[in-house]
Order: sequence, then structure tokens, then C-alpha cells
Amino acid sequence: MKKLPKEKVKPFVEKLLQDYEVLGPMETAGFASFGRIMSPGELKLNYQNSKKTPKEAFFPQWEVMFRYRSTGQSVEVKSAEDTGRRRILFGIRPCDIRAALLLDLVFDSLDFKDPYYINKRKGTIVVGLGCNHPASTCFCTSVNGGPFSREGADFFMTDLGDGYLVEVLSQKGRKLLRGFDGKEASEEDKERAKAIADSATRGISSVIEADGLMEKLEKLTEAPFWDFLHEKCLGCGICTYLCPTCHCFDMADEAFDLKGQRVRCWDSCLFPLFTLETSGHNPRPTGRERIRQRIMHKFNYFFYTHKAIACVGCGRCIIHCPVNLDIRRVIDDIHRE
Amino acid sequence: MEKDLWEPKILAFLCTWCSYAGADLAGTSRIQYPPNVRVIRVPCSGRINPLFILKALQQGVDGVLVSGCHPGDCHYQIGNYIGRRKSSSLKRFLDYLGIDEGRVQFSWVSAAEGAKFAQVVKEVSDKIRNLGPSKKFVNRIGPIKGVRE
Amino acid sequence: MEEIQNKIRREVVQLLSEGQVDVVIGFEQGSLPLRATPFFLRDIADANRLVWSPFCENNLATYLTKIQGKRVGLIAKGCDVRSVVALLVEKQIHRDHIVIIGVPCQGMVDRRRIEREVDGEILKAHQEGEEIIVEGRDFRKSLPRKEYIYPSCKRCEHRNPLIYDTLIGEKLVEEAERAYHEVEAFEKLSPDKRWSHFSEETSRCIRCYACRQACPMCYCAECFVDSSFPKWIEKGLDPSDVQFWNIVRAYHQTGRCVGCGACERACPMEIDLVYLTQKINRDVKELFGFEAGLDLDPPPPLSTYRVDDEQEFIK
Repeated sequence: MKKLPKEKVKPFVEKLLQDYEVLGPMETAGFASFGRIMSPGELKLNYQNSKKTPKEAFFPQWEVMFRYRSTGQSVEVKSAEDTGRRRILFGIRPCDIRAALLLDLVFDSLDFKDPYYINKRKGTIVVGLGCNHPASTCFCTSVNGGPFSREGADFFMTDLGDGYLVEVLSQKGRKLLRGFDGKEASEEDKERAKAIADSATRGISSVIEADGLMEKLEKLTEAPFWDFLHEKCLGCGICTYLCPTCHCFDMADEAFDLKGQRVRCWDSCLFPLFTLETSGHNPRPTGRERIRQRIMHKFNYFFYTHKAIACVGCGRCIIHCPVNLDIRRVIDDIHRE
Repeated sequence: MEKDLWEPKILAFLCTWCSYAGADLAGTSRIQYPPNVRVIRVPCSGRINPLFILKALQQGVDGVLVSGCHPGDCHYQIGNYIGRRKSSSLKRFLDYLGIDEGRVQFSWVSAAEGAKFAQVVKEVSDKIRNLGPSKKFVNRIGPIKGVRE
Repeated sequence: MEEIQNKIRREVVQLLSEGQVDVVIGFEQGSLPLRATPFFLRDIADANRLVWSPFCENNLATYLTKIQGKRVGLIAKGCDVRSVVALLVEKQIHRDHIVIIGVPCQGMVDRRRIEREVDGEILKAHQEGEEIIVEGRDFRKSLPRKEYIYPSCKRCEHRNPLIYDTLIGEKLVEEAERAYHEVEAFEKLSPDKRWSHFSEETSRCIRCYACRQACPMCYCAECFVDSSFPKWIEKGLDPSDVQFWNIVRAYHQTGRCVGCGACERACPMEIDLVYLTQKINRDVKELFGFEAGLDLDPPPPLSTYRVDDEQEFIK
């Protein structure tokens, strides 16, 4: 373990910027967002939860898969995926790293390999940052995570106040030590980091009851509960688009005359169009079915296929819902049904 | 393409009863006018959904001309009055957004005004040629066989 | 506030027990500080969950087009009522299916602005007289409520509901700031500056359509973005598509926007949206002498005309 004093962070990131594309938390229009950093000054490491999620690094909201053009006699097709990018996700919260591990189950499974996702994922080094002050809406500890969970990180940092305690957790992470100008961490630093982590974990005040949730939902498919749950939902896509684990997408051809591109873009189960069939029939015609799908997918279907809950407890959907439809309350209500 | 070789591409929505007939008259009367307009015939200027105009701009046309019957002459009595309201509110809104003044222009041309149609097209083309190629709000892929390529 | 809240509860209990309505739409305590959340009340026993606070920011008229075929009691602020009027004018709802419980509104508190006033997370918030008190892990701050209401509330000229079946509490004195001064200031910028503001703001758009969904007037059975035949717009984030969406969403409000600001409050990316509809509102007032949601009689301005409408811009 090493220690990186605060004043050395800037040169460290500057060094990383020479060899890598660095993505991290930054400020956009007055809120913490997530995006590509061009200079160390843009990094905003004392954030609680970024509004946009790091999943965009592997699964962007909108990406061109390939481009095509008809020459008259034949069709040229060209992949649009740029391979070999070397990237770092810098200062990512453990909940968001866990989200990436869940997305791996979807896009990099034994049955399905998604080259667009895998390519970006493999070329990325994940630098985790412990969460000293989890928000009141965070419930990561209820869904197998924790504010200092190292799971999935290649490199992990703990904010000690005067500097960061740095741990290298993988071969990939070791590469970052080149040009690293920090000293060995003292026993006292390690003690302090442990105390911070313990206090943060204790500080998580929100809880959801994950045990038995899947079984409970099993029996609730046609329950009257859903008739009322969706009523105040506006049917926008905020909770799905700001969710670090939501991964539904749509593919479309954007064509003009003889050329075009096939794009993949996020879609949301809360939009009527998501399930609208060509015939005009919609198997999920109202908010009732759509919101049920969102809950079921996260806490039941995903568990069936991947043995995990598709929620990392980051609290974004709670904070940003325009009508304050709180997933914690929903889960409490489900258990009460 | 060289800038001085560039020619604006203009989309004209013409009401079938007046302006389209006016354009036809300009043709049969052998009146010369710039070849920059592509005409789309619509039943009435009241039929023009502002979406059409916006879509055209997004697809990369350099300008749009909307033309219908003179006030009081509408085949459907009030269609052009309704269209006029949409036009004035849309025009003000596009100006406000910062889209170049003149990208979207409006005229009244009756079936008897072949010469006026030619004159309008000339003025509209000149104005848009001066503005140069449309850049704001244009889809990146764009049309393939356009003048732009 | 508490008195108003009690009156609302009493009124609602009466409406439900007399069977005048099937459901009442109001607010209950939210799960977060500075938040109230829409509440669909059917059981009299739950009436004491209804709240009235400076955090009741949602425009509840949005739900009227979604909850068809029921008799609804609507707890409505000035702007909610204007939306009801606009929906009646467009014949989207039936007046006799709605019981309007009007509540004069002092303006709703801008939670994002308050969050920015403090360092750290706000854990508790409440109103004490004219102050909003917010508390966090290591701070307690008192902020004057009046200064922290939403910009759309500051501009509001109709804090008192214009139509209602019951009015809760006393009518307030209208004291709006000049409604269009932001529009006028923006108009003075150069076209390129105006365009760059618009394109920078909308570059954050994630197309979640919260602006549309929060708006009572966005009730189209099929929004143009969802139409695949004809396909008006692509689904991705090409700047031109995002701009197209934002232009059309705003322009489609011509003669229909009541200026409640629900779109901007719902926007997760905090995009400047109201300056667009405010411009349209001012133009509609100036050109057609019309303001949405004030009057049940005149038809929507784009479905009618006057012979002497503006036409100087037409050659």
C-alpha cells in the first residue's frame, strides 16, 4: 500500500493523461457528472454520486456500430468500433464498479459476447475511490456492495484527508504505478483508512430487504399492488437512464439515400414504444405493466438468469425522480403485500 | 467543394391552388428563375406542419420557402390564415433560437403571378446564397448526393 | 400552512365520503428532504397523509389525461388550475369529472438551488414562518423562503386558482416579477450567442423525455419522436436530433404553455427550458392576444385567425 499526498494527485493524473484517456467525475452545469477529463483540474473527487453514470464508458447512450454505403454495384460495410483505446476510469465509486460487474454478466457471458462492450471494458483500468460519506439515499450494503468494496477495482484509493491511501489490486492496476510519486503508507495511515471505511459502512442509513424479495415478487405478478404503484409515475426515462445497471437498448438504421449507419442506443422499459409491436399491439400498454417490468427485471428476472440483483444501491433513481417515487418505499411495500 | 461553386439548396412548400400554379405559369411563360428550389406541392399553406420546415433544415437544406394564396384567396377559405399564424410564431421562435434570419422565408403568390414567383425565388435564393451553407442544426450524416458532397 | 393542510384534509374527507369523487390527487410527505410526492387518495383513513408545503412542486394536472373515466378531486395551485383550463379548452378532460380544490400558492421552493447553498447533503428540511430550515451532518441553515422559490413561481401572475369548486384559505395578492424580462434580455444577444446557448444547454439532454412527461399539455397519443412512420427523428444523441427534439417540444407548446415550469423542474440534466416557452408565450400574447389557461372561451390561437394578423414578414 502506498500513500499519495493530495498535492501529488495533479501530477499523477497529468502523467496518466499522457498515456491514457481518462474518464472521471467532473462538474457540469453545477452538478457532479461523469465524463472525459482533459486536465487534472477538471476532476472533482469530493463528489457524492455523479449524476450520469460511468456505465457510459462501456455502454454509451448512443454508439455507431458500423457504417455502410452503396456504391451502386455493391455495399461497403465498415465497422465503426475503434479498438485499442487505453482508458482509465478514475475515482469511481464502489457501487458503480459493482454495476460494471453486473453489466459484464449481460454483455460478456458464456452465451453472448458483445464485442462493442467487451472491447471497451477490456481496455479500461478501473480506479476505485472509497466513499467516505455515503448519502442518506445509499443502500449499497443491502445489495452485496459496500462503500469500500474493492470488488472489480484494479486500483483503489481511500481519501485520508491529507492524501490518498493507494492499493494495487490487479496486474492492470500495477501499470499505473509507473511514474507514481508516492511513498509507502504508514501503519497509521492504514489504521486510519480502516477506521474511515468502518465508519462509512456504519453510516449507511438506508436499507432494503433483499432477502426473499425475488420469491415474493414471484407471487405478485398479477397483484392489485401494481394498479396503484404506477399512478404517480410520469413515465419518463430518468430512473433507467441514470441507473448504472439498466442496460436495455434499441438498434436502428440511420440512413440517408445510399449511405447510413447502424446505431445502438439506450432504450427504457418505461417508454410505451419499448414494447410497441408493428401490428400496433402493445403487450405493456400502461404504466402498470411498464413499472412492473422495471421492478421485476431488477429484482426477479435478473436474479433468475444471473443470480444477482440488478441494483447496486446508488440511490440515483431516488434522488432524481421528478415525483419522488422511491424504490426503497416500493420494496417495503412489496414485502408488506 | 470550392466555396464559389457552392449553390444553395432550397426547399419550397407551395400551395397547389395558387403558388404551385404560379410556378407553373412562370414555367409556361418562359420566365427564368434560379434553379435552386425543389418544390413540394401541398394542398394548402395551412397544411404545412412546422415539423416539415424543421425537418428540412435538419436534413441539410440551406433554406425553406413557404408560399400560399394571398389573404382572402384561400381555396379552403381560411387555410392560409391558419398557416400565417403558424408561420409568424415559428419565424419568431427560430430567430430567437439563433437560426439565421432568412433561412425560412414566406410569400404570397397567386396563380396569376408567374413573374412574382420568379422574383420571389430570385430574392430568396440571393438571400440564402449570401448566408452561405446552413450549418446550425444540420444532421451530421446528411444527404449523400447533395450539392454538399 | 398547517391550517391550509387541515382544511384540505377536511374537504377531501367530505368529497370522498359523499361519493363525489373516486380519487383525490394531492401530495403526501416525500421520502427526501425538500420533497413532497404526488398522492392518489381513495381511502378516507389516509386523508391525514395529505400535506401542503412549499415543496409541492409537481403540476398535478398532468395526471388528468392519464386517469380517464374517474371522477377526480384535484388539489390545485394556480398553475395546476391554468393547466386544467388549457386542457378543457382543448377538450381533453370533462369539467364535470373534476372537482377542483383550489389552493392559492405562495410559490414552490427551488430544491436544487437550496442544495447548492450548503456544503454537504441536506438531511432534514422544514418551514418555520417565512424561513426554510435545512440541516445536514454538520450544518444548520435558515434561508428566506421567498428568495428561494422557483423562477417560474417568481414570474407567476396567477397564484390564485382562476376556477375552482372550493377554495382553501384566503386569496393572495398577485405580485409577479416582470414575466418576460429574461426573454427580452436573451433577445438582445447576437444570433450566434443565442444559438450557442441553446446548443450548449441541449447538449446535456439525455432524451429521457421527463420534460414531456411532466407537462400537462404533452398528452399526444403519439409524440413525433415516437413515430416510426413517418420517422421524424433518430433516436440517438446526434446534436441535431437533440436540438430538433427540444425545438419541437417547445414550439408545440405555442398557445398552450401555462408557464408552470414543470418541464424544467423535471429535467435531470438541469437544462434551461423555460426561456424557450416563455418566448413563445410572449409572442402568442403579443401576436394573438392570447394567454393559455386563463379563459375557457377563446379557441386555441393556432386553430383560429384574425384577418389583420401580422404578415409583414411575408413577401
